[in-house]
Amino acid sequence: MIDPTEIRRLAEPRESLTMDGMRRDIAAMLHEDPSEIGEADSLLDLGLDSMRAMNLVLGWSEGGLDLEFSEFAEDPTLAGWWTIVARQQAQRG
Amino acid sequence: MAVSPDSSGWPLTEAQSGLWYAQRLDPANPLFNTGQYIELVGALDLDAFRSAVTTAVEEAEALALRVVDAAEGPRQLLEPSRRPRLEVVDVSGAADPLAAAEADIARDMATPIDPTRDPLAAERLFMLGPQRFVWQQRIHHLAIDGYGMILLTQRAADLYNARRRGTTAGPALPGLDVVLAEDAAYRGSDKRQADAAYWRETFAGQPEVVSLAAGAPVSAFGFHRRAVEIDAATIARLHGLARESSIPWPDLLTAFCAAYVQRHTGTPEVVLGVPHMGRLGSKAARVPAMLMNVLPLRVAQQPGVTRADFLASVARSLMKARRHGRYRSEQLRRDLKLIGRQRRLHGPLVNVLPFDETPRFEGLHARLEVLSAGPVDDITFTFRAHGAGGLRLEIDANPDLYSADEALAHARRLDAFIAGALAAERLDEVPTATPEEARRHLVEMNATAHEVPDVTLTALVEAAMRRTPDAPAVRFEGVELSYAELERRSAALAGALTDAGAGPDSLVAVALPRSLELIVALVAVLRAGAAYLPLDLAHPDERLARILGSAKPRVVLAREADAGRLRPYATVLVPEAWPTEIGAAPLRVPVPDDAAYVIYTSGSTGEPKGVVVGHRAIVNRLEWMREHYGIGPGERIVQKTPATFDVSVWEFFLPLIAGAVLVVAPPEAHRDPLALARLFRAEKVTTAHFVPSMLAAFLAEPMARGLELRQVFCSGEELPADLRDRFHRTLSAELHNLYGPTEAAVDVSYWPAGPDDRARPVPIGFPVWNTRLYVLDEAMRPQPPGVPGHLFLAGVQLAHGYLGRPDLTAERFLADPFVPGERMYRSGDLAYYRPDGAVVFLGRSDHQIKIRGLRVELGEIEAAIMQSGLARQCAVVASRDAAGTQRIVAYVVGVEDVAVLRERLPARLPDYMVPSALVALDALPVTANGKLDRAALPAPEFSGSGGRPPETPSEKRVAALFREVLGLDDEPAAEDDFFTLGGDSLQAVALLLRLREAAGRDPGLAALFAAPSVAGLAGALDEQGARADFGLEPLVRLTEGDPALPPLFAIHPAGGLSWCYGGLARALAPRRSVYGLQAPALSPDKPLPPNLETLAADYARRIRALRSTGPYHLLGWSVGGILAQAVAVELRRQGAEVGVVALLDAYPSDCWRAEPEPAPDAALKALLAIAGHDPDRLPGLALSRASVVAFLRASDSPLGTLSDTALDGVVRVVAGNNRLVRGHHHARYDGPLTFFRAALDHEGRDLTPAKWAAYADHIDVVDIASLHAHLTGREATMTIAPALGAALEACEQSRKTSCATMACADASPSSPERAEA
Repeated sequence: MIDPTEIRRLAEPRESLTMDGMRRDIAAMLHEDPSEIGEADSLLDLGLDSMRAMNLVLGWSEGGLDLEFSEFAEDPTLAGWWTIVARQQAQRG
Repeated sequence: MAVSPDSSGWPLTEAQSGLWYAQRLDPANPLFNTGQYIELVGALDLDAFRSAVTTAVEEAEALALRVVDAAEGPRQLLEPSRRPRLEVVDVSGAADPLAAAEADIARDMATPIDPTRDPLAAERLFMLGPQRFVWQQRIHHLAIDGYGMILLTQRAADLYNARRRGTTAGPALPGLDVVLAEDAAYRGSDKRQADAAYWRETFAGQPEVVSLAAGAPVSAFGFHRRAVEIDAATIARLHGLARESSIPWPDLLTAFCAAYVQRHTGTPEVVLGVPHMGRLGSKAARVPAMLMNVLPLRVAQQPGVTRADFLASVARSLMKARRHGRYRSEQLRRDLKLIGRQRRLHGPLVNVLPFDETPRFEGLHARLEVLSAGPVDDITFTFRAHGAGGLRLEIDANPDLYSADEALAHARRLDAFIAGALAAERLDEVPTATPEEARRHLVEMNATAHEVPDVTLTALVEAAMRRTPDAPAVRFEGVELSYAELERRSAALAGALTDAGAGPDSLVAVALPRSLELIVALVAVLRAGAAYLPLDLAHPDERLARILGSAKPRVVLAREADAGRLRPYATVLVPEAWPTEIGAAPLRVPVPDDAAYVIYTSGSTGEPKGVVVGHRAIVNRLEWMREHYGIGPGERIVQKTPATFDVSVWEFFLPLIAGAVLVVAPPEAHRDPLALARLFRAEKVTTAHFVPSMLAAFLAEPMARGLELRQVFCSGEELPADLRDRFHRTLSAELHNLYGPTEAAVDVSYWPAGPDDRARPVPIGFPVWNTRLYVLDEAMRPQPPGVPGHLFLAGVQLAHGYLGRPDLTAERFLADPFVPGERMYRSGDLAYYRPDGAVVFLGRSDHQIKIRGLRVELGEIEAAIMQSGLARQCAVVASRDAAGTQRIVAYVVGVEDVAVLRERLPARLPDYMVPSALVALDALPVTANGKLDRAALPAPEFSGSGGRPPETPSEKRVAALFREVLGLDDEPAAEDDFFTLGGDSLQAVALLLRLREAAGRDPGLAALFAAPSVAGLAGALDEQGARADFGLEPLVRLTEGDPALPPLFAIHPAGGLSWCYGGLARALAPRRSVYGLQAPALSPDKPLPPNLETLAADYARRIRALRSTGPYHLLGWSVGGILAQAVAVELRRQGAEVGVVALLDAYPSDCWRAEPEPAPDAALKALLAIAGHDPDRLPGLALSRASVVAFLRASDSPLGTLSDTALDGVVRVVAGNNRLVRGHHHARYDGPLTFFRAALDHEGRDLTPAKWAAYADHIDVVDIASLHAHLTGREATMTIAPALGAALEACEQSRKTSCATMACADASPSSPERAEA
C-alpha cells in the first residue's frame, strides 16, 4: 500500500520557490501589485486572512515541500515565510 | 488580569468561558468531548510511540488543566497529575478487533466529563494485531479545538519520526501562557472595541435567522453523521474556479453553501456560522488550546446576479469577518440580545478544512477518523480534504431536529448543488433537487394511473337508478324518494328542459334551497345533457346579475318566491310547473368531454369566475372516492353543503352513483351543530363532510359527543392536528383530510387522519387517481422533500377553464412542462413534499406566518385557548398592525372575561405565541360555504399600536428601552403597556436598570407596575427628577387597582425583595392595589433589625402610614409568611382591623430553630432562584458571589447586572432573616390563616400547616400542586390568584354583614434556608 502523502513526496518537485515568486503569489491573492508587499509588512494588515494564507501554503507545498501552516501563522510576513521555505528547501537539498 | 501562573491559576479565556457556561447548563452532555482516532497499519515502534505521545502531551499543557469554580469566578489550574498517560488496550483477541476498539471508544466518548472533577483528556492505544493499531484521543473542548488537535497529533508524529531517525524534532509546542497573555491583552484592547463596533454595525437591522429545520438549536447528546465523497471532476472544477477568481476554494464552498441554505429557507438572506481558527498572526498559533471562534456570515439573496459577483461578495464578507474574528460570537449574541434557546445568531455551520489532517508517521499507513468536534446545535457541513486531493463532505446533524435520512439527503443534495453551481453562469440556473429527487417527485410520487370508465356522470347516475329502483335514493325532512321515483321525476323535468332548449353546451341555473326538488333538478339537468350552474340566492342582486349575465343559462330552476329576481335573465321554471310524467321527446346524451357543472368562485379581484368542470373530471373524482372508501348501497350520506361550494358535488352524486341514500339536511342546518347532531342520529348518517372550522364548532356541541359514523371528510381549510385529535376523542369515525380547488374537480389529494395519525401538521396527502401534484420552485423545477414551493396540479381532473374568460384560464392553466401536451393548474398554494410523498399545505403564497422571526403554528394557540376551558370557539389569525408588524390576533367566542383568558395564556404558550390581541365575539363569522370568513373578522385594537407616538424626550427614551428590552420590531406607542407587550417582572428589572444607565435615574419598580405604559413610566421619570430609588425601597406598589377595595400587603420572602409577587398581583380579580414590603436593610445604610418583632412593628407602621384604616390584608411567602403573622399580631395589638392573612407555604419558627445553620451560600442560591434557575440542578457551579454573578451574566439574567450594592443588600438580608426567624417566638393571632400549601414538596419532612395550630384561630388550607420554590411562578399563580381573590372577597363580604374585624393570621414563616427571595 502506498501512502498518498508519499506520492506527493515522491512527485517531481517543481521549480524551487523564490522570495519574489512568493511575493507574486501573495500579491495575486490580495489583488495587489507585488511592489506593495514589503518583506516586513504584516500580511494581516495587507488584508490576508487565514483561508487565503492556508491556500498559499497549500499551493507552495504542492511542489513537495513539507510546510506546516502553524509555523506560517506565527509570523505572517514575507520575510518570515521565506525563512521557513528557504530552510525546507535547503533540507530537501 | 493576572497572567502569571500563581497558586490560584488563571481565569478562563473568553473562548473557554462560552463553553464553560454551556457545559454547566448541560452537565450531562458528552458532546463537549472532542475526539478522534487514527488507525495505524504497519510495524509500529511501541516504545518510540509511547515516548512521542508522552512528550507531546507534556508540551500540550492544556491537557493537564483543571477548572475550579472559585469565589471570583471559574479559574483554571495546571495539575500535572491530570495529564493523560498513554493507556494500551489489547483487543487483538476479539473476533473483530476494530469493531471492539470502536465500541470501546464510543463508550468512552459518550461519557460526560465534569471539568472541575475529571481529567480533561485521555490517550489510548488499541492493539488490534501485530501490525494494526488504533490511537484514540479524547479531549474536552475547554482544552482544545480542532486545529489544536491537529497540532498535537502531528507533534506526536514528528517526535516519533525523529526518534526513529535518530534526529531531533523541531521546537517544542509553546506553553499555555502565550494564549493567556494574548487573551488578557485582547480583552482590554482598542482592537476589541473596534471589533465589537464592526459586528454591531454588520448586524444592525438584525436579519431573521432560520435554518434548515425549525426547532430550538440545542445540542442533543449525539448527532447523525452522513458523508459523501466529492468527485474528482468537481474538485478539479473547484480549483479551476479558485484560480480564475482568485478566491480560495474553501471560500467558494462556503458561498455555495450559503446559496444552498437560502434555497431551503426561502428567506431574503441567510446567516451561516463559519468556524474561525483565530491563529493567523498569533503567538499562540502553535499552541494546542481552545481558540476557535464561530463567525456569523450574512449573505443576502441577490436574484439574477452572476455567479462571479455572488462569489466575490461572499468572499469579501468572509475576509472582513475574519479581520474581526477574535471577537467572540457569544459576546456578540449578548450584544445583540439574542437571548434564549430559540434565538439564533446563525443557521448551519460551514467548516472547510482545506488540508489533510492525517498525521505523517513514517513507515505506517494512517487513517484519521474525527469522532466529534463538539456540540452539534443544529447542522454542520464539514468539507474535509484527505489523501492526495480527496474531499469529503460530512453532514453532522442534531437528531432532535433532523432524521438520519435527512442528513444523508442534505449530503447528496449539497454535493449535487455544488457540482451544478460549478457548471453554471448564474446560481439561479442550478436546481435544488438532485436529478434522483426530481425523478422521484415527478414520476414515482405521481404514479397514479388508474383505469376509469370513460363515461359521463349522467350515465353513472342513470345506471344506478336502473340497478335498484326500489331502494331509497333521497330523504328530506321525513319524505323519501326511491330511485325509481327519482328516475321518473328527473326524466320528466329533463324533458321539459330539453323542450326549453337545454342540452350539451348549454347551462341550466339551479337556485333552489336544499329540498327534494333540488336533487331532482340537478339530476334532470345532467340528464338533459346540460351543465348545471348553482346559484346562491343569499348573494346580493348585483352579484347574481353579473353571474347570470356572463353565464347566460337557458333556464333557471327556482321557487316562485324567487322567480322575480331571476326572470330578467332567463326563463324560470318553478317546481309547480315541472311535469311529472316523462315526455315524448328523446333526451340529448352528453359525452365525457362535455361540461357537467359550472361553479363560480370569488376572484381575488372581486369579479366572480365560473369554473367549468367536465364529466370526465368529476367521474374520475367520484369513482376514486367510491372505490377508495368502499362506498356502497348501505351508506347514508348527508348533503349539507351549499350547492355553490363544490364539496356539494360529491355529497349529491356519490350516493347516487353508489346506490346509497342521500340524506338532505334542512336549509340552514349546516350552520347549526345541534340540528346536525340530531339529524345524524335520527337519519343514521354514515358519511358527512365538514369544513374544519365547522367541525370544531360541531365537536363543541354536547349532542355530538359519542356519535358513531363510518367516515367524516374534511376539506376546504387546513385541518389542524389538534382538531383531528379532538375529533377522535369526541366521535367514533374515520377522519379523512382532502384537498383540492374547484378548478380540479373538488379534491386532488387525500390523507387518512385516523386516531393513530400523529402527523403534525396534518398533510393534504397523496394524489388521487390519474392526478399529479407538483411542488415547484420559481423556475418551475421540482423541489426536493421538505422544501417549500408552489403547488401545481395536473391530470384528468383539471377543469376546462373559466367560463368566457380565456385570459384568466391561460393565466392559471399552464402547459405541463413534464408531460407534453398536458396542462397544469397553478393553485396559488405553498406546500412541500414529505419524504414519504405526502404533501403538506403551508398556506397561500401571499401570506406566511412568522412572529418575531419565529414560525408560529396558529393551531397551537387555538388549542391552548380551547384547553383553557374558557372559550367555546376560537380562531387565531396573523394580522398586520398599522406599523406593518405581523401580530397574532385571537378571536374568541363564549368567553366571559377576556382578561382572565389573557392572564392564563402565558402559562400555556411561549411568550412569542401569546396573541397580541384577544377579541371577544358572539360568533365567528362564516362564509356561505361555512368557512371562517376572515374578511369579516373585526380589526383588533393592538394594545397601543397605532397610538400616539412618543413625544417628550423621556417618552422617546423609555420607548426605545421598551423596544430594546422586549426585542420589539417597532417602537411602541406612548400608550403601550410594558406587560401587555410581553414584558415579565425580570424584564421589568432589566428595563429599570437600562433606564438608570440611560437617564441616570429610574422611578422604581413600583412606578412601572403602577403605570406600565411608555407615557406612564416617562411621566414618573420626569416627576421623580433626580431622585433614584431602584425598586428596592421598603414599600413598593406592585399594582394599582380599585381604590374602594382594601389593598393587599405582600411581605418579601428570605431575599428581602417583593418583586416575586408581581405576577400574583396582576392576576388578582377584581384588580386591587397590591403593595410589596421589602427589607429596609437592603439599603446599606440601614441596620439589620434586632429581632423579628421589631421588623414586624416597622412594617405595621409603614402599612398604617399608607392607609389609616383597615382591614389590612396580608400575604407572605416563606419568611414573608412568618412576618405576615407577626404583622397581623402587631396590628391587632394596636386595635386595627386585619383582613385575610395568607401564608404561601410558610412554617413557624419552631420548625427551623433546630435546623443546622444554613450554608453561607443560601443567599446566592436565593439569587439563582430569583433568576429562575434551580440551584440544585447546577451542581458544578461554585456558590461564590463572583461565580454566581458571572453565571447570571452569562445566562443573560438581568439580576447579573444588579449593582454591587444591591447584591450585597440581598446577601445581607438573607443572612439576617435567617437569624431573625430562628430567634422568633410566635404570639397567638386571634384570627384565621389562609394557608397555600406547596403540595408537591416537603416529602419526608414534618412540615404541615398544623404547626400553626397554637398561633391562630384556625387554618384554612388550600393545596397547590407546586413545589415551594415555584409558588410565585406562572403555573402556581393560576391557581392561587382565584382562590386568594375569593378569600379576599369573602372576607370583605362577611365584614359587611357581621362586623368581622380582625381577621386572621398568625403567620408563620417558611424555611429560611430555602432560596427564594
